[in-house]
This record gives sequence, structure tokens and C-alpha cells, in this order.
Amino acid sequence: MHHSLLGRGWLVASLYALLCGCTSTDKESAALNSKDGLPIGAVIALTGNSSVVGQDQRIGLELARDQFKDEEPKVRLLLEDGGSDEQTATNAFRALIHGGAVALIGPSLSQQAFAVNPLADRAGVPVVGPSNTAVGIPEIGDFVARVSAPVSLVAPLSIQAALKQNPAIKRAAVFFSHDDAYSTSESKIFQQALVARGLQPITVQRTNVSDTDFQNQVTATLRLKPDLIVISALPNDGGNLVRQIRELGYGGLIVVGNGMNTPNIYPICQKYCDGLLIAQAYSAEARSASNEAFLAAYRKARGGAIPPQFTAQSYTAYQVVVEALRKLHADLPAGQILSALPTRELRQRLNAAILGGSYDTPLGPIRFTPEGEVIQNNFYVAQVRMNPDGRSGRFQLLP
Amino acid sequence: MIDPTLLVQMVLGALLGLSVYLPLSGGQLSLATPGFYAIGGYMAALLSTGWPALGGAAPLYPLPSLLLELGLAGALAAAVALAIGGPVLKLRGIYLAIATISLVEILRVLNLNLPFTGGAVGIFAIPQPFSDPAGYLGAALLLLLLVGLLCQRLEGMRFGRAQAAIRDDELAASCMGIDTARVKLTAFVISAVIAALTGVLSAHFLNTWNARQGSFDASITTLAFVVFGGSRSWLGPIAGGLALTAVPELLRPIGDLRLIVYGLVIVVGPVFFPQGLITPELLKGLARWWPWRQREAAP
Amino acid sequence: MDTLLQILFNGLSVGAVYALFALGYTLVFSVLGVINFAQGAVFTLGAYFTYLLIGGAVGANGLLAGLALPFALPFWLALPLAGLAAALVSLLVEAVAFRPLRRRRAEPLLYLITSLGAGVILVNLIQLLMGAEGYSLPADSLGALPVALNLGGAQVRTVQLVLLGVSALVLIGLTLWLEGSRGGKALQAVSEDATTARLLGIDSDGMILLSFAVSGFLAGISGGLVGLSISITGPYFGIGFGLKALGVLVLGGLGSVPGAVLAGLIIGLAEALVPSELSGYKDAVAFAFLFAVLLLRPQGLLGRPQVTKV
Repeated sequence: MHHSLLGRGWLVASLYALLCGCTSTDKESAALNSKDGLPIGAVIALTGNSSVVGQDQRIGLELARDQFKDEEPKVRLLLEDGGSDEQTATNAFRALIHGGAVALIGPSLSQQAFAVNPLADRAGVPVVGPSNTAVGIPEIGDFVARVSAPVSLVAPLSIQAALKQNPAIKRAAVFFSHDDAYSTSESKIFQQALVARGLQPITVQRTNVSDTDFQNQVTATLRLKPDLIVISALPNDGGNLVRQIRELGYGGLIVVGNGMNTPNIYPICQKYCDGLLIAQAYSAEARSASNEAFLAAYRKARGGAIPPQFTAQSYTAYQVVVEALRKLHADLPAGQILSALPTRELRQRLNAAILGGSYDTPLGPIRFTPEGEVIQNNFYVAQVRMNPDGRSGRFQLLP
Repeated sequence: MIDPTLLVQMVLGALLGLSVYLPLSGGQLSLATPGFYAIGGYMAALLSTGWPALGGAAPLYPLPSLLLELGLAGALAAAVALAIGGPVLKLRGIYLAIATISLVEILRVLNLNLPFTGGAVGIFAIPQPFSDPAGYLGAALLLLLLVGLLCQRLEGMRFGRAQAAIRDDELAASCMGIDTARVKLTAFVISAVIAALTGVLSAHFLNTWNARQGSFDASITTLAFVVFGGSRSWLGPIAGGLALTAVPELLRPIGDLRLIVYGLVIVVGPVFFPQGLITPELLKGLARWWPWRQREAAP
Repeated sequence: MDTLLQILFNGLSVGAVYALFALGYTLVFSVLGVINFAQGAVFTLGAYFTYLLIGGAVGANGLLAGLALPFALPFWLALPLAGLAAALVSLLVEAVAFRPLRRRRAEPLLYLITSLGAGVILVNLIQLLMGAEGYSLPADSLGALPVALNLGGAQVRTVQLVLLGVSALVLIGLTLWLEGSRGGKALQAVSEDATTARLLGIDSDGMILLSFAVSGFLAGISGGLVGLSISITGPYFGIGFGLKALGVLVLGGLGSVPGAVLAGLIIGLAEALVPSELSGYKDAVAFAFLFAVLLLRPQGLLGRPQVTKV
């Protein structure tokens, strides 16, 4: 009996030695094998219940890859599924860090960012978040930045616009999906913005991202006779909520959050989307050379559709990394190439270049604080205008 | 080459498998494991980020603090399990399964709504007791070894035989003078403690903790670990936990078809291994090659 | 008064769908003694089938991007057809995840896992083919009916009434069939005692197939109805409903048809009665209720007491 126990202990110990032995060989001190271009890793939610975000982001990344493929230095995109949970994202990040990615784009969700960004930061790999908006993300470490403006900046603008359209608003009701980090943070900002304008919310309703039936909450809210409804939710649940609110007879203004800044809401709330007020970190109607190029690429790939904000932001994240690499490349003494640098040093210099640069992107001109927070000049407020078919529409910019 | 991070997750999966296995080897289909796992994770997350005296600000979180968390999480889980185990374990079969899944869901909703659990964002910046995954792997393997030894010991004791008797026929077992309620409760409590300890390690390992960490999906997945690996020996859930955690990651090269193939593995696996990967026959076969052959006959 | 009426309507219309869905679980459970975890995915498929049959086009993200059927059926025709298609999928699930194990006389626990695997495959196939985006049935699916009606002061969406009406029709039809037809009676006989039924010359393999087909049909119909009322929120749409329906099934008592109906309505009403300030806890209500009932009545509301061997 004792023998066998000892035997198992020995087995475990030797298994451990074996596993650690083979995995500790590390490529980080060596230079990259970059025959096919410097690897840029991207980790987005391609599976799980947040894949609706990831599939928009994937288009943006692939468009950016094709758009910038002729620039020096040559890069290649390594796309990994980060799932909708922390464990899958962790594995994807680790695989790309060890696979020699010079920078990482991702993950899709703020909760995932809190799990995986520390890994990249400890390994000294720059991360550019395309859609993480929760408070505290750039503060994770020196190597963490994001192009997705925190909700605190964007959200209050749409409340302002609502009050401009209807100065008589007195009774605001708030809805938010309380199991989504994005919506929870945003709703706090919305509520502060309302209170700052003397509009104490008459009710705050918590919903779930996976909820489909909001009739109880809507009827309870409508009994309180609101004249403004403010929603923080993701496209599917939010679109549904809008539809049920309208079907149950509400005729006043509805302000929706940044999570719903996507034409993906059209097929869900259909004609009821009409009139929604939305603050945007990206507008397809903004005029700039960069946005025109992005729109042209998107239309070519997707027909006449309007790109969602997630697509524009992931495109921007890729553009930021590529332009920072281009700058590093241009600054090298003649005869040297980037891929000859030790990976660790390359990543470090790239991080400095990313944070130091300024970029002309589909989101407008952006740069970063030393902490990695995005500084974005242009935010927009738009009103949804649906076409008579109730299937398509546009986000019309408000002056 | 398997990344050490994945290895840590695999070992944590094996531990959760063992947590489901213990009640199951006494015939109790309890799926409360993710709930206790969540309790352990929140305990670690709240203590290490909220109580400065534990040393969360240090570059490396002190190991004694980690041990304290493990102790407290284990104690809390045991207390909760003792409190609810009595009434819950009167239920049988699918009723027990659904009742325990209900507990997991109730806990998840509470964790989303309570004022101190961080809502949907959860708790982040959890301090690190180890500087690299190898440290976590060591800790998780040590825990797995201890739990494995415990299972081995229990199976050889009267408790193990009582469990087997209850699994075969609960009424007959109680006629034989076995205190079935007590045996079932013991297994339930040990299972809860294992899950909570695993949760503590996971919270540090993941850097963050939120309400999604213990959910209905996890209940079924951990059950799959046991069924897939084999529910007749404690080596079964270990094999199942290791294998099923690794499969979706090892399937990364096939891209978009990854989870479809993973589903196929789950569907086809039990057809080829109806008793799980580790069967009593396999163990007997292996025992012949075991260098330290046991002298005593197996019970 | 109108508030109470409102809650009643909201609760009953959701509860009716829970009941319909839970009945699907019940049929398979009463014949095989196991739970089919793929049921949530079949429900989801029912909604997608309805959407396609009514003439909806696939979005831009799946492999089938842009595809639409060459015809567009009215909703009342699309729904039963979607139910039939879901029944076919359910039979496929039986063939892949259940029959091979049954042949090998594997223990029932294995079915939980293989049906879970079948569900994983279906959900990810939907995503691969149709993308992860949401779909909504056209607002005019119900023809010229008004969107909402005012009933005694309560504002009720017309789809809620349709949900309630169709569910009631299906439930009545199912009960008549179970009680009055040869197939239905045989199914009941098998669920009560498989061995005796076999001695009486009832083909139990055929009954298993029948139970899967009917349960797939019910899941598909419920999916289509919820899709109409609410819209399809992506491939994971049915998972939450599946879990609730499982709770309903157990609350009503495994294998009990009236139990499933009663429990569905109770859970729907219980959720509707949650005050809106506490809406964050809504998802826990069904389970807290279920948990409490199980502690008092371990066999569920209308289930038969569990048999203990003597």
C-alpha cells in the first residue's frame, strides 16, 4: 500500500518535471522568424454567447489586414478564438505570446481583459483593446492600451441631445443589462448624467443579456409614465427591449447606449428602431479620408451595408499597430530590419511607439495618454432613421 | 507541446471532476460543484484584494495568505454544504441534479446583485502568489495529489464500501446498518471543499473573478468530465477532466469547426468508452505492469 | 386591477411556452428515463426554421450569407412546418446521441453527456451557417392584427395572445392524442411499464422514436412562438429557456403532463410577480421556488412518489 502511494507521488513529480522541462524553452530572447511578416495576434470572441461582438470585429481585422498589406514592414494577422469566457481567452493569449506575436489585439470583453491583459503585461507584449470600455483597463499595466473610448465620455452626449429635442423631459426611466460589464458601467454614467441635469431616474430596471421577454418590466415602467427611456444593452437584448417598449405603446424619446451602435439592431427592432438617439464613438457618416477608405473597403466586402462600431474599432486597433510598426521601421538605421531585433526589445519599442503616436483612423484622429487610454477628438450623436421597408436604415448625425 | 497555462486549467478541471465524482460514487448526482467553486473564488478574490494585511500589494502574494484563503474557503464551503446537505440529499436522481443546479443558478444571480461582488465586471487585479504558470501548476498538482490520495484512502475504508453499497442499492445499504444519510452528507461536504479550494487557486490564476465562473454550463461540463473519464475509479474523473479541458484547445488548428468537433468528441466518446476512459478492467491490466505490485489482494 | 390583469397576461403567455417546452422533455423522459439536453438547441432551430420559412434571409456572417428560400409562407403555415423540421432534427439527435448507447445498454448518465454534445454541435452549426446575429420575424407576421390590445385596462401585445392561444391548442391536441389515439395510449403504456408494454406487443423502439419526434415538434413550435414574440437572439437563444423548462419539468413532477402545464404557468406567473425594482433577481425566482418545492415534495407537484425497491 505504502509503496503504491509513494509510487504515485513519484509519478506526479516526474510528470511535473517533464512538463515544465519541455515548456520552459522560450523564444523571447531570440529574434523572430518573420519570413512571412511580423506576427500580430488578435483574440476575439468567435464562439460562445458574445460571438455577435467577435464576428463584427473579425470583419474589421480582416479588412485592415488587406488594406495595409502592402506597407513595410510586412506583417501577418494571427486570429485566435478567445471564446466568451476567461479560460479560452487565456489560452489564446498565451499561445500568441509564445508564438512570438509582436502585439496583441483583444480581447472582446472587459471581463476577459481583466483576466488576460495582466499576462501580456507581465510578458511585455503590447495589447490594444478594441472594445473594452470598463473602468480600470488601461491601468492594468504599461503595455495595455485601448482604442475604445470609455463610456464616461460618450454616454452623456446623447442625454444632452434628448433634452435639446424635448426640453420638457421630467421623468426618465433607466434599463440596463446587469450581467454585462459594458452596459453596467455605461448605465452608471447615464444615471450620473441624468442626475446632473436634475433628472433623478424614476425607475432603474435590471435585465439580463440572455433575456428575451421584457414585458413585465416594460409594463411596470410605462405605468410610471416616463417621458425618456435610457437603455444600456447589447444589440440583441437591447433591440428586443426597444421593440417591446414601442409595441406596448410608449411614444417618447429613447436613448440607447454605445453597445447598440450597430446596424445589427435593424433586423431586431425593425421599424421601431426609428428615432432612437445614440451617442457614438464611431459614425459612418463622419467625413475623413481614413473613414472613406474604411467605408469603401467595407462596402466592397459587404455590399451597401453600414459598418458597426465594433468593426471600425477593431480595424482601428490593427491600424494603430501597423502604423506604429511602420514608424519603428522608418526610424531604424539603414541596413537594419525590425525582425532582427530580439523579440523582447521589439515589443518594448513597439509599445512605446504605439503610445507615442497619433493616428488618423475611421474613428477620427486619436492618440493615447501615457497610461494607454485613448484620446479621441470626435464623438457623435445620431438618430436612427429607418427606411419604409423597416429592414434598413441609417444613423443620421445630429448637428 | 502543451502550454503550462493549459496544463494548469487541465489539472483544475481534474479537481472539479473529482468534486463531482465523490457524491456520484455514492450514487448521488449532485451538480453543486460550480457553486462551491464560485464561493471559493469569491473568497480568494475578496480577501486578497480587500484585506491589505494579507500582503496583496507585495510583488508576490505571500503563500501563508494563500493558505489562509484556502482554509477559510474550505471552511465556508463545508459549513454551507453541511447546512443544505441534509434536506437536499433526500432527493434522488434527476431531482437532486436539478435541485443542485438550482442552487448554482441562485448563487450566480446573488453574485450579480450583491453590493460587494463587483456586479457583472466582478473583482479584478487579484494578486499573484506565483510569478509564472509553473508555480500554479505545482500548487494545483499538489492539491490534485492530496485529493487523489484522499480518494484512494476513502475507497479502501468502510466509507468507500458504504458508498459503493449505496450506489448499488440505497435501501439495501440502510438495511445492512449503513447510516446512509451520514455517508451521503460526508461525500457532499468533501466534494464542496474540493470545489472551493479549486476556486481559490482559479481566482488567483485567472487574475479576476465574476459571476460567470459558476454557471449551469459548468455543472454539466464537470459531470461530463466524470462520465467521460469513468465513474468507477477516482482516476476516471482525473483523466476526463484533463482530456476534456484540453480537447477544445488542441483543436485550435481547425478554426471555426473547433467546437463542432468538440461536440462530436463528446457524442462519440461514450459510444466507444461506455464505462469511461478508465475502467476497472484497464486498471487491473495496468496493475500487472505496475512496478510496485500490491501484495494484498484488492478488497 | 388592471395591473394584476397585466401581470396575469404576461405570466401566462410566458408560462404557456415554458409548459409546451417542458412537455417535450417529459415525453422523452417518461419513455427513456433520461433528459435530452439537446432540447434547447432544437427549440432554437425551431425558431430559425420559422424565420426561414416565413421568407427571412440569412444575414451577412454565416456560410449561408444572403440565402433565402424561394417562397414565403404565412406564419400560421410556417410554424407547424418548422415544428415538423424540428421533429426531424430531434430524430437525428436520437439516432446519433441515444440509439448507439441504447444498443450497448449503457447507463443513463451517458445520455446526459451525449445529448449535451449533440446540443453543442447544433448550436455551433447554427453559428457557422447563419452567423451569431439576431433575427426577428417581420412585424407584420400576424397580418393585419393590431400590435397591442387594451383588455380591461391592461395593455397586451397581440403576440402574447397568439402565444397563449396556440399553446393552449397544442396542449389540448396533445392531451386528446395521448388519451384517445392508439399511438398515444401505447406511448403512455411504455412510459408506465416498458416490459409489460413489450409483452402486449407494443414496439418500444417505435415508441422511443415517436416520443423524440413529438418532443422535437413541441420544442420547435415553442421556439417559433418565442421567436415571433421576441425575436431570435442568436444561436444561444434556447439555452436559457431550456434550463427554465427543465426546472418546470422537475417542478411539475417528472413524467407528468398536467404537472408540466401547471408548473409552467406557475413559474411564468411567479416571474411576472417579481416587483420591477427587484428585476435583477428575476432569474433566481423560478429556481428558488423549485428548490423550496422540492424540499417539501421531493417528487414535484404532480409527480408520482419515487418508488423505492422493497
